[in-house]
Amino acid sequence: MPLSVRKGRLLAKRLGVPFRTLDIDRPAEERAADRLVRGHGDDAPDYLIPQVFLEWSDGAVQHLLTGFSEKVARTSDAWDALLASEWLRSVVREGSR
Amino acid sequence: MSRRGALPAVLRAALESTPGTCYRHCDRPVRLRTVASSLPGTWHVRACPSGVVSVTSYAEWTRRDPVDSVRRTLRRWTVPRSLVRSWDLRTATRHGPELGRRAEASLARVRPARGVRVVYWRVYPFRAKDGTERRLFVCFRRAHPGPVFFAASPSSKRSECPVCAQRVRRPRGA
Repeated sequence: MPLSVRKGRLLAKRLGVPFRTLDIDRPAEERAADRLVRGHGDDAPDYLIPQVFLEWSDGAVQHLLTGFSEKVARTSDAWDALLASEWLRSVVREGSR
Repeated sequence: MSRRGALPAVLRAALESTPGTCYRHCDRPVRLRTVASSLPGTWHVRACPSGVVSVTSYAEWTRRDPVDSVRRTLRRWTVPRSLVRSWDLRTATRHGPELGRRAEASLARVRPARGVRVVYWRVYPFRAKDGTERRLFVCFRRAHPGPVFFAASPSSKRSECPVCAQRVRRPRGA
């Protein structure tokens, strides 16, 4: 299973929200991904993947993470930091009130 | 006092990563070189001992999009300039939570919020018009005002740098 699918599922579980992936090798999903990246992410003619977003209950979309071009292991470290972050703890805390 | 857009030490440290080995070329350790420019952010060039470039990155603490200035700077450093294509420039925003506790706390204190924008320049191996494979090389000889990027055969050495070659060919006294 790809790194960011595995870690993304973990993040979604911690947040108590569904996890959705958009596969850019599938044309319909690629179009949706392009819209998301263009509107809220790190856009470029050949943009970096993965890009991770959180959709809030009011419809707002928040960009959380873009993969590191240096190497996959650096993206893995970034996922671990995100999962251990104060930001995630505070969102989970707010959500459980 | 640092320049606006320059990365504080805590963010520079959070963005660092071990360079790894040269992929599909020589498997030797990639070296990380920091390069100075007129831009306020931090440049890193990752290249193997032969000069084959894995990736070049520029990081700035800013809300602006630095891609245009990165493209201009890279074109000044590259022979021919057309080697720097928009297609090969990719941006990433680093917000803080993905950079570890210290960087997250540091970025959270800043109002209004601004993240770190990183622009990557990665040129994948390509075929020249004659069908031969080309890789992106870099030469860091001190005679240059900055790095020199150029394309050459994977079996080439840094000695094929076009700027160094021009210097060698120039008639004495010219």
